[in-house]
Amino acid sequence: MLTATLRGMLAHKLRLLLTTSSIALGVALLAGTLILTNTMGIAFDMLFGKISSGTDAVVRTHAPYTSSEGVGTDRGPISADVLDQVRGVDGVRAAAGSVSGYALLTDNDGRAITTNGGAPTNGYSMPADEALRGQVELLSGHEPHGAHEVAIDATSAEDHDIALGSTIKVLFQGPTQEFTVVGTVGYGDGIKDLGGTTSAYFDTATAQQVLGSPGEFDAIDVSADPGVSQQELADRLSEVIPAGTEAVTGAAVAQENADATKANFKIVGILFGIFAAIALFVGSFIIWNTFTMTVTQRSREIALLRALGARRRQVLGNLLLEALVLGLAASAAGIGLGVLVAKGLKMLMDGVGLALPFTALQVPSSAIWASLLVGTGVTVVAALVPARRATKVLPIEALRESTPGAERPSVVRAVVGIVVAAAGAGAMLWSLYGGASFKVFGLGLLALMIGVLVTLPLAVRPLAAAIAAPLKLRGMPGELARQNATRNPRRTSATAAALMIGLTLVVSMGVFASSLKTSFGDVLDDRTDADLYVATTSTQAPGFSPAAVEAVKAVDGVAEVSANGWGEARFAGGPSSYSAVDPSNADDVMNLDVSQGSFADLGKDGVVVSRSAATAHGWTLGDTVPAQFAQSGDHTLRIVGVYDAKGWIGDDYVISVAEQNAFAGAQLVSSALVTVDQGADVGQVQDAIDAALADHPDAQVLDKEGYQKVATGFIDGLLTFVTVMLALAVVIALLGIVNTLALSVFERTRELGLLRAVGMTRGQVRAMVRWESAVISLIGAVSGAVLGTGIGLALSQVLKDEGIKSVSVPVAQIVVYLAVAAAAGVLAAVGPARSAAKVDVLKAVVTD
Amino acid sequence: MTPTITATTIPGHPGAAVGASIAARAEHLTKVYGVGEATVAALDDVSVELDRGRFTAIMGPSGSGKSTLLHLLAGLDRPTSGTVHLGDTEITSLRDKALTTLRRDRIGFIFQSFNLLPTMTAAENIVLPMKIAGRKPDPHWVASIVETVGLAGRLGHRPSELSGGQQQRVAAARALASRPEIVFADEPTGALDSRSGTELLRFLRTAVDDLGQTVVMVTHDPAAACYADRVLFLADGHVVDEMFAPSADAVLDQLKHLGD
Repeated sequence: MLTATLRGMLAHKLRLLLTTSSIALGVALLAGTLILTNTMGIAFDMLFGKISSGTDAVVRTHAPYTSSEGVGTDRGPISADVLDQVRGVDGVRAAAGSVSGYALLTDNDGRAITTNGGAPTNGYSMPADEALRGQVELLSGHEPHGAHEVAIDATSAEDHDIALGSTIKVLFQGPTQEFTVVGTVGYGDGIKDLGGTTSAYFDTATAQQVLGSPGEFDAIDVSADPGVSQQELADRLSEVIPAGTEAVTGAAVAQENADATKANFKIVGILFGIFAAIALFVGSFIIWNTFTMTVTQRSREIALLRALGARRRQVLGNLLLEALVLGLAASAAGIGLGVLVAKGLKMLMDGVGLALPFTALQVPSSAIWASLLVGTGVTVVAALVPARRATKVLPIEALRESTPGAERPSVVRAVVGIVVAAAGAGAMLWSLYGGASFKVFGLGLLALMIGVLVTLPLAVRPLAAAIAAPLKLRGMPGELARQNATRNPRRTSATAAALMIGLTLVVSMGVFASSLKTSFGDVLDDRTDADLYVATTSTQAPGFSPAAVEAVKAVDGVAEVSANGWGEARFAGGPSSYSAVDPSNADDVMNLDVSQGSFADLGKDGVVVSRSAATAHGWTLGDTVPAQFAQSGDHTLRIVGVYDAKGWIGDDYVISVAEQNAFAGAQLVSSALVTVDQGADVGQVQDAIDAALADHPDAQVLDKEGYQKVATGFIDGLLTFVTVMLALAVVIALLGIVNTLALSVFERTRELGLLRAVGMTRGQVRAMVRWESAVISLIGAVSGAVLGTGIGLALSQVLKDEGIKSVSVPVAQIVVYLAVAAAAGVLAAVGPARSAAKVDVLKAVVTD
Repeated sequence: MTPTITATTIPGHPGAAVGASIAARAEHLTKVYGVGEATVAALDDVSVELDRGRFTAIMGPSGSGKSTLLHLLAGLDRPTSGTVHLGDTEITSLRDKALTTLRRDRIGFIFQSFNLLPTMTAAENIVLPMKIAGRKPDPHWVASIVETVGLAGRLGHRPSELSGGQQQRVAAARALASRPEIVFADEPTGALDSRSGTELLRFLRTAVDDLGQTVVMVTHDPAAACYADRVLFLADGHVVDEMFAPSADAVLDQLKHLGD
């Protein structure tokens, strides 16, 4: 039986190729995303493991919460006196205070060396003890000594041709300083940077000066004597260190850091997972269709076998064996392709500015097993239904002349589909407006899609009628194309489903992004009275030095400069982000509809809360809000204002920049609003600020349009990424269309022959198949576009409170998607159309 | 040598009077299947002329080449050598597209089975060739055809809702609806019960007598053949005999001889 199976498979090479490639593509997407996610995870572990690998314990100040809550983790500084106490503990081989912070390197021409994707630009103290450096090693030169020496990561040095001995500027939170580069640093195994970050190393005293403050460390790193375990060391240290500090093992700190970072990138993993799921979902439809075709082509052969006495199980077993062999082989090929997919995705992410730390691609055995299992499993399950159907057919029925009839979609199907879709839509709305978690939204979306997929066969006829209306002009081939597309609504909808899902996602993202961008423009117009904006040079940098703000203030023609900061802390018991503003002029340059109180009253312990937060907590002016900052612990804030209009500021809590510096340590400025003197020329002032910022390469000045473009630029990047991912799904969808058309052409051989006999030309036959394909594609694309627009609008609506007031549907973009879908359908039809035109008229119409 | 037999060679037959009007003509038609040693000549140097406005039946035992002859005359297949003329058009040298449009515009077909598109109603099937051509059917003509075949009231039904006889009448109506020069029928009663078969044959006879239609039919049923004006007998790829105004008995008798 096995020989028969293999021979049968090889006999239909095109079908084999189509099926294999559709399974392989689906598996490749799955494997690629698994490989990429795994590689990212390893990169993060390495990033933190490498720095702390020589550290057995860390002494640091206690913080009210840990990074696992997903809020800011900058702890308060620890006094340098503790270092002496630590060194006196039995079992401590070496200990050193560590300091790190914002340090932006510049190249030989004074331009900022920016990183991709918001990777940090950091400065560190370099401990004298080599063990405490972990895998941080000097690749050239020597370690930095004194106030004017720096060692930098080898990638920055090589990419920007910074030679040893050259002098570069380094930007800090405080004043910019010049240093001589005395060494380049690597991280073992030939790695020259920490996952895309830039690093500057100073001796400890200098680091305290430029990154922290003298007499204080961020933490104290401790190395144990041989034979003393990390836990023992931490326990011993805990006994001597002062109250308010804690000693934890090096491993625990590395884990904390890695977990926090991984949590930030979890969304990327989820995104990948969704795409892989779509790819497989789409792939399984194709497999299902392919096996239906296999079975149709063989139905007479199967019937003959059955008539001759083959048992059902033998026939069924034969078909399933074919599925198993095909699934295994295609999945294996898919895993190989997956490595390429992972590489491509990484390049794509770099390209759109979503760079993540990467090591060489890691192919974990779990990814291989998962891909093989899923690919083969989906294939076998998808083959099961048509295989069972084939063997259920009574032998004599299959031997008789018959055209496979289409099953009419049932009322039950309609009811089930509509109920499921409605439940899904309800869940999404509940999540969006009723406060249910985002997981409910995801499940609702899934239910909505499934419901729509179940109902789609019923919508095939009306949709086809609408879509094919212009085809009436194409005469009989157009009319026949419409009829053929609606003959087997279930098959048509299964084929169109892939495009529908892809278009739903891409259009909903498009509508949401378009609304976001339009709204942001409105926000700048309505909520700020600024003439100019100062922003970070690199769009995803955390901020720029406050020194830049001072430089802008000094420019002639500048009336007001209002700096904004941002951070995370706990307010009223829950983690939340907050904004920081300049109370002296916030009321002048921002228009946030402060209905009660004023930003000017912020003072030392004031807070302005959003209307929604005030309503939720029942707060009024003068009430107090408990707050906890990681660096400084508990504070009690007094409500001095309530603001209504989110948009420019979206956080529920607004404090002053001075308060932020007091509660959370000195922080970077995230942006600044600039107004010009009455009568001053905005363009001239902008040029003057531009010149003044020459010494501050981390900041740039922009007008409204420029700022809007920069601030919403990441949206385009994200959109590109999503679109490219979906393009892969669309490729699989096309294979599905090819498959379905091939099947249809095969089933309709006699009809095609009849049409040819009564006078349809080859060209007309080809056109008929092409139009049918376009109609099927458009059924998927149009329903996806409608669904996606709905979801996108719902998403945009729900953010009304966050300032997304304008709703914008990117009509041109959607029309392009539809045109591409139709064109893709026509392209997919090339092969099937050709074979339809080649049908032998005589064989088709003459009864043998 | 293969005898060339045409209606015009028989004096006294009505065909003689309209000898100038030949609907289709085959000259030295040969069709060989297979290659090398395995070649089989389905038709061997056949020449026939088919009169306009006459009902011609082609008969012969299995493998005699009767279906092949019909397919070649109808432009459904290409001969190995020889020519076919439809009216003044030499169709054997036509390219596929020209041949297809010729079938569409000048020829009508009735096959033994699977004559209709399952997705279309009877009415849509009837006007299919004209729709393919992008022409408007003549409603009066179509209505009169429909009435003649007795399909009024069934026009909105799809083939699956019609009996075999009704389906075949729809096919006949389609074959005539575009006023073709010639209608070819390949075993049109083969899949029908005798009553339905009779109805169909009567209709074809009416089409010839009342509408002046030219009909060529392949059949192996002597009862069917006697509806024709003339019967051509084929055996082993040759036209071996012909009969005018045939009766069933005479045809049967003739067939028995061929079987010997």
